[in-house]
Amino acid sequence: MESAQELGDEELVALCQQGQGHYFEVLVRRYMEKAFHIAYDFTRNKETAKDLSQDAFLRAYANIKRFDGRSTFYTWFYRIVVNLCLDHVRRSGKVLWESLDKTADEPGGRRQLVDTQYQPDQQAIAGEATRRANATLESMPNKQRTAFLLRNQEGLPIADIAKVMKTTEGTVRVYLHRAVAALRQSLVEFV
Amino acid sequence: MENRIAPLEGACKNYEEDLVLYYYGESGTEERSAMERHMAQCMPCRKFVDDLGRVLPQMSSKPEMPQAFWHSYFRETIEKLDEQEARQSWWRRWFVPMNGWLVPAFGTVAVAVLAIVLVIEKRDVVSNIDTASANIPAEVLVDSNQLEFFKSLEILESLSTLEQQEGVKPERKTSFNDSGRGAKAVA
Repeated sequence: MESAQELGDEELVALCQQGQGHYFEVLVRRYMEKAFHIAYDFTRNKETAKDLSQDAFLRAYANIKRFDGRSTFYTWFYRIVVNLCLDHVRRSGKVLWESLDKTADEPGGRRQLVDTQYQPDQQAIAGEATRRANATLESMPNKQRTAFLLRNQEGLPIADIAKVMKTTEGTVRVYLHRAVAALRQSLVEFV
Repeated sequence: MENRIAPLEGACKNYEEDLVLYYYGESGTEERSAMERHMAQCMPCRKFVDDLGRVLPQMSSKPEMPQAFWHSYFRETIEKLDEQEARQSWWRRWFVPMNGWLVPAFGTVAVAVLAIVLVIEKRDVVSNIDTASANIPAEVLVDSNQLEFFKSLEILESLSTLEQQEGVKPERKTSFNDSGRGAKAVA
């Protein structure tokens, strides 16, 4: 299994498709952090993010024979994660912003958008800025939010985001610009 | 970062989308040079990109999970995968072999059974019709000769009616409409 770590995604997928399912464990190890973070970006809840990202692995494994290699494994897999997250957000109605009441020092808490150096009035401003940014993200149309989170949080290139979202690069650029413009608008009084 | 509240200034509207792409490093070489030339002369656009550089990276911070979390995450995922595999394997034992030879064999048998059932059903229907006609009383059944006889009677009746009509033939009045062909027929 040690040499399996060196295999590429497509080789591992091919082995899984040939019935050697244990190679999927390498893919789990390779993508578990990414999958968890994407789910966390959408849900802002660690337990939910864990469940959703694990479900994504189960779904990917169950459908591994349908993966035809027309896209890379990771864009195919990210699409599964994103779809599960969007379904969850739609069903639950709203995002649970777990980080809202956490300070920047707490693990899992989103860092505040203004560096306060622990001055009480500045901390309040930073808290408000973070709240506004989170609220803006929550109220964004799903496609804008997906484009923004995949680019800004996960660092995916626009070309790959287009594949994950099954749309054109031009459309992703528009979503990204609108998302950034909305965030900028919500933070116009801060920074 | 300075500890002061400063407004996030707007950029030139025509450049805003390109500036966002520039910030994310998604511009081509030419667009990048064009943006840099523009920003050298445009303070609000330069400020806009600086502001993005201050705000957006802070939004992308990730929750730092301890190593123990990832160990248990991996273990749980593998357990769930095993459970899923076990659930699928019991029905696969029964249905997956059907993908080879059992499906066509099952199909052939099903078609054969259907054909036999249809043949038996048809025979039953034919024999039911035969028995039904055998059960009709003889008085009700009409002999074919009798049928011909009744038909000839109908012809005779119609002939006598025609003769009666010939006997009381009225005087024909010619109209403007039938003056051509009608006149010839009378003649």
